[in-house]
Amino acid sequence: MNLKIKLVFIAMLLLSLTNYAQDSVTIKGTVTSQTDGEPILGANIIIKGTTNGTSTDFDGNYEIKVTSGAVLQFSYLGFVTKTVTYTDQKTINVELVEDTGVLEEIVVVGYGSAKKSDITGSVSSVKSEELTAFPVLDASQALQGRAAGVVVQSNNGGEPGAPVSIKIRGNTSINASSSPLIVVDGFVGATMPQANDIQSMEILKDASATAIYGSRGSNGVVLVTTKKGKSGRLSIEVNSTYAVQNISNRLDLLGADEFADYQNQIRANNGVTAAYSQGTADTDWQDLIYRSGNTQNHQVSFSGGTDKINFYASGNYFKQDGIIINSGFERATFLSNIDAQMTDKLKLGMNLFGSRGIKNGSATQSNGSVSAGGDDVITLALRYAPDQPVYNEDGSYNFGNTVGDPVDNPYAVAKERIDETKTDNFRANFYGNYDILENLTFKTTFGFSTENSTRGIYLPALLTQTAGGDSGRAEVETDRETTLLNENYLTYKKEIGKGNLTLLAGFSYQKTVSENFYAEATGFISDSFSYYGLGSATNILQPDSSISEVEIQSQFGRLNYDWDDKYLLTATVRRDGASNFAANEKYAIFPSAAFGWKISNEKFLEESESISNLKLRLSYGVTGNPSIGAYESLARFETLYASSNGESVSAITPEQPENPNLKWESSYQTNLGIDLGLYNNRVTVSLDYYNIDTKDLILTDNSITEYLGYTADDILANVGQINNRGFEFSVSTRNISTDNFSWNTDFNIAFNKNEVVSLVNDADLYFDAAPSYFSNDRSYVLRVGEEVGLFYGYDYAGVYQGGTLPDGTATLAGGVAGDPLFRDLDGSGDITTDDRGVIGNPNPDYTFGLTNSFTYKDFDLSIFLQGSQGGEIFNMTNVQLTNGDANTTVDYYNNAWTSTNTDTDAPRVGNNSNREISSRFVEDGSYVRLKNIAIGYNLPGETLEKIGIDRVRFSISAQNLLTFTNYSGLDPEVNYVGRGGDNNTSANTAQGFDFGSYPTVKSVSFSLNVKF
Amino acid sequence: MKTTYKYLFLLLLSFSIVGCSDLEEEPVGLLAPDGFFQSTSDIQTAVDGSLTHAINEKFWGRKLSIALMLRSDMVSLASNETRRVEMNDFTTLASNGMISEFWPKTYQGIAAANQAIAGAADVDVDDELKNPVTAQAYFARAFYYFHLVRLFGEVPYIDEPVTDIDAATSMSKSSVSEIYANIIADLEYAKTWLPNTQTSRATPSKAAASSYLALVHLTMGNYQEAFTEATEVINNAGTYDLALDDNYQNLFNADVIDASKEPIFALDYNNFEAADNAYDQTAPMTGIRGDDRNLGGGWSVAVPTLEVYTTWDAGDYRRAVSLDDRASIGGTVVDYTEFDISGHQFAKNNPYIAKYMRYPGLFARANARATSHNYSMMRYAEVLLIAAEAAVEIGDNASALTYINQVRERARKGGATKTGADEEYVFEASSVPADLTGTVTVDDVLEERRLELAFEGKRWYDIVRRQIGSEVFGASGLEGLKASFDSNDYLLPLPEDELERNPNLLPQNPGY
Repeated sequence: MNLKIKLVFIAMLLLSLTNYAQDSVTIKGTVTSQTDGEPILGANIIIKGTTNGTSTDFDGNYEIKVTSGAVLQFSYLGFVTKTVTYTDQKTINVELVEDTGVLEEIVVVGYGSAKKSDITGSVSSVKSEELTAFPVLDASQALQGRAAGVVVQSNNGGEPGAPVSIKIRGNTSINASSSPLIVVDGFVGATMPQANDIQSMEILKDASATAIYGSRGSNGVVLVTTKKGKSGRLSIEVNSTYAVQNISNRLDLLGADEFADYQNQIRANNGVTAAYSQGTADTDWQDLIYRSGNTQNHQVSFSGGTDKINFYASGNYFKQDGIIINSGFERATFLSNIDAQMTDKLKLGMNLFGSRGIKNGSATQSNGSVSAGGDDVITLALRYAPDQPVYNEDGSYNFGNTVGDPVDNPYAVAKERIDETKTDNFRANFYGNYDILENLTFKTTFGFSTENSTRGIYLPALLTQTAGGDSGRAEVETDRETTLLNENYLTYKKEIGKGNLTLLAGFSYQKTVSENFYAEATGFISDSFSYYGLGSATNILQPDSSISEVEIQSQFGRLNYDWDDKYLLTATVRRDGASNFAANEKYAIFPSAAFGWKISNEKFLEESESISNLKLRLSYGVTGNPSIGAYESLARFETLYASSNGESVSAITPEQPENPNLKWESSYQTNLGIDLGLYNNRVTVSLDYYNIDTKDLILTDNSITEYLGYTADDILANVGQINNRGFEFSVSTRNISTDNFSWNTDFNIAFNKNEVVSLVNDADLYFDAAPSYFSNDRSYVLRVGEEVGLFYGYDYAGVYQGGTLPDGTATLAGGVAGDPLFRDLDGSGDITTDDRGVIGNPNPDYTFGLTNSFTYKDFDLSIFLQGSQGGEIFNMTNVQLTNGDANTTVDYYNNAWTSTNTDTDAPRVGNNSNREISSRFVEDGSYVRLKNIAIGYNLPGETLEKIGIDRVRFSISAQNLLTFTNYSGLDPEVNYVGRGGDNNTSANTAQGFDFGSYPTVKSVSFSLNVKF
Repeated sequence: MKTTYKYLFLLLLSFSIVGCSDLEEEPVGLLAPDGFFQSTSDIQTAVDGSLTHAINEKFWGRKLSIALMLRSDMVSLASNETRRVEMNDFTTLASNGMISEFWPKTYQGIAAANQAIAGAADVDVDDELKNPVTAQAYFARAFYYFHLVRLFGEVPYIDEPVTDIDAATSMSKSSVSEIYANIIADLEYAKTWLPNTQTSRATPSKAAASSYLALVHLTMGNYQEAFTEATEVINNAGTYDLALDDNYQNLFNADVIDASKEPIFALDYNNFEAADNAYDQTAPMTGIRGDDRNLGGGWSVAVPTLEVYTTWDAGDYRRAVSLDDRASIGGTVVDYTEFDISGHQFAKNNPYIAKYMRYPGLFARANARATSHNYSMMRYAEVLLIAAEAAVEIGDNASALTYINQVRERARKGGATKTGADEEYVFEASSVPADLTGTVTVDDVLEERRLELAFEGKRWYDIVRRQIGSEVFGASGLEGLKASFDSNDYLLPLPEDELERNPNLLPQNPGY
């Protein structure tokens, strides 16, 4: 059919429906909201037992033809449905009551929304109040501890502007990302908006909920809905927050005199006779690099609407001065949503989002690649001798560290190194919604987003080690990512018998183009160029630029059927074709099915006093992780920078063979859940059990021999399998609810257990997180049958007291009394690399969050605790601090073995274990943290009404005020990315390493919220 | 209804805008093998790729060059890194961490050369134009296989781009004689087509092919052929623009080496720290700890024993160029007996290798990483010594005397140089080493090679081809008795992970 004929056909269809009339009377009326008296737009009016119905216009008005005795049913999402019997009234005006019950919450799901009570999958909702309980840079941070099974962590402690990683139900991959898909107002893969602009966030966890996102669903999906305007109400809201921040903890290190004594003890133990020549200063390097930081967050939003147009617009400014000198982040954001009812049937809208962020970075999380790892101020402050001054007498920086490898002055690095990242984000998403038929809606969206970032680094000449001995080193990197998205889908709703059927079918096309440019140069006449004078450098290093393009085109569909409000069925399917998929595996199909049973609506429970809700949910489905980068399956040449005839030229070499059978990773997930509401839902409980088998994991195919001469380190194959299973439990109680006082409690806890099921030939896979200058080759292992990312090293067995070695132990070569003992696993009588084994597990047994909220008249108080139990931490910092070529902790200095202090677990100073990874440094990383405590006060309403203000609220809150942990390091929430750098493999496997991360901060915040 | 049509039309239009993509990937900025080779410059690009692997840290940038040094009797170890200890002490395991680096890197050089040769077939240009370029790839392939066959003996031999991965991963090793036959065939092809000279000594020339043929024949014991090839180079020195450099120090001065006529084939280091470790890290490995030169001094890993210095005539200018016996450490100028004032764990009170740390070039970075040395793989002095050794073997003593004494004569000239403490001076012309007279022996030539080519990665191969290990690693050797040495050590083990991937490579070399 050509387009014209189609249009005519549809038009005729429409006409035939509208002409379908009855012999009856026309009545009129208005539907309003009881809460604010405002008209409700789009409320449905149906004559019970027929298919006749209509909906209200912008003023809440409706007209419908009725016959005597007809029962009119008025319904609107979020309101309690009301029925009125027609008894010859001329007008029927109806006030609908807002449905505040938890179970009638509306939950956004992929390509639609549903009543929470009708959800068959595992979905957690996080409310706006929880997201804005304390100031966060990234709204994802606010999810921590709020939803069962969702683990949120900053990639670099309290660093201003550090990215935040979210993991839902554990690690589902090894080499591919385990981060969930973020969908903002329907835009797939969007940047997270500002917390204050978010209406709600839904976390889709099981396959039934995520399979509609197909090949991108296996890590879970976070659906974000931003605020929209309401018609008739114009309001201005101002939020302002100021927070003061300090380091939550500091290591207790030696002062100059103790340090000199420590060095002399080391020399004595090593038979060196010359005394340590103590410097004149006594410098607390930690004191120098840390300061008190602060955060400001100001937001103004406008919202409102006329009868046809609603809008919401906001502007936000965020600024943070980090607790390490010279580190900070600044960002301006705007967001605007406009919805317009063009005709009765057509609604158009637009979401716009833009932001610019500027990050001033500090060197943290050294991977050790810069000469001696000297680019990380946090560990430098621990390594630099405390008897050395910051400045020499002539005013220049002191670079005369007396111990260990040559490193730069930490204060000079913090002060002089420039590292700026500027990121611009823009997103526009247009939609059109057309009611083709009464029950059939068509929605189309066109979206465009772009993220451009530029990072510039300049290392001035005086930083000899970090700048590599060049007179200045500058690098500039720009990234540009542009996404186009078009989605079109039809939704059809129909009541069939006692059941309701909803069908969804759609098509989606998305294209993402990523461009990168990189240049680096050394040798500058002047440091004043910063990173802006690359052209003036004497030595231009190899620049690089690249582009990659990924297209995904998909068809998707969903069927929802609920019968008699008792039995719920959801089935979804998505077929994804992606350009980055290999030639023989271009298309993937991801089905899921779920069944729900509202037992409480059965006769035998309907009358129950105590049980107000009981629902069982069961789902199974397959979702994917695209896992394959653009062009990763193609035969490729690598380009090399070569020298030929004395000139620099480019050259090529075979990089990898074609791999036409490379597939995405697939997760097969079963979810069994139960929702229970007691005493009119004053107590609600949810319990979910899940099992996720992730198959076809993409790992390096090390069966390809090296003599084929391909340069790619990782020729990939689908070979691995991991399993995640666990329980999630959440309970909410309205403990006390009176006019003046209320007390609510929300608690959630999640137990996840993961297991490596298969690897390439089921052989152990080793990785190394230790910074490269530690010269280790492995620090964690993936082993079949075990959890992901276990610590790997020597098993420490206490201090050798001299004489006969205790059974089954030995020392490293040349061990004497005071040296560490290790388990001699291979029984060879000495300690070699063969004596290494599994020494710890960073995976927590469970994570939890507990919120208690109280209100008393105009005051409210909220106490939020969050914690993690059973995960271990490898304290890499202590490896550095006890090997003699750095400062050390007072604790080690006082407790180290000596001939007179033999009853200790700490080996002698200057012992023969230098940088070995051993269980001596594995610690329990469990913690409970008072994440937030907030007190708020709302000015009484009567006072405000007089001056025309809706709301004035003050609040004071404190974050990370208390932490209960046995961990000896700075902070138990560690996330050192490891020497491998910030990549998927590190994020999935190198967990629980503590080294040089930006410390977590304690802060006290003051907020003001005014609404006109 | 009219507006409805309008909007409906717009909505339906949105479907048609999107259309359908075929989802084919068309990468920009990434190269695919299909259709890449169009012109001779494309062949050159793959040749350059092949030779670039040689400057990588995994090959001559450190891993192979240092391995060759450590295995020889001229360089000992100041480090406790297992992979290096195994190399130095002949306790090498099949898991050795240096082998696992230069094995793949060597084969990557071969794969790129194979790609160039196969690609040349697609280039529709006259042989006269394209073969001189393709010939460089033949040379590169021979260069790499010559290292492999001397290091490992039998290895898998691949001479075309891999199309059937499964077949290639299950192939067997080729015999040593077969590999040598292929190396000679490749070098003969190169010799036929390469021009007499190139603008850079890092681009293989006819002289390079000929000189390598001489060395290959010498290694195989084909002394007549070796003599013929070497003398052909010598007799055409003018045509090939070759000569001994008057100042031996110039050969190890990155600032002036480009002007020297002595190098025949060199590895051309980029003048910067290239990505993927394609830069020199051999130099710092030989440097003195705490040395005030080179921004932070050297790493003190590959250090000769004191005997290398004390047994070398102090009047021989080459000792003054090859070894640093003075240095400025922390501002104090000391001689080698006090090099340990740096306090470093592995500091040795021995003279250190000086060839690479004195004049690393303008672009060297901290610790003399990323030097601009164009490491000579073959230089004219070696061709003279190849000719001399072959002459001894074929009984032409007169020629042997002529050629070896040319090398000694140059050494006597002395020249401008500097100490390890950066003190410039002129080493006056010397009577040492005096001209040899009478009958030249093979040992004389080997000894000359040991000194002339000291620390240039040649000595280990000389020990292997002459099977003199039990002698030089005995109690009277420069490094004292190396108890673990036995004749199995003449070959390295094949990497164990390669044997696991392809059991058809078994058996492992004897003794491993």
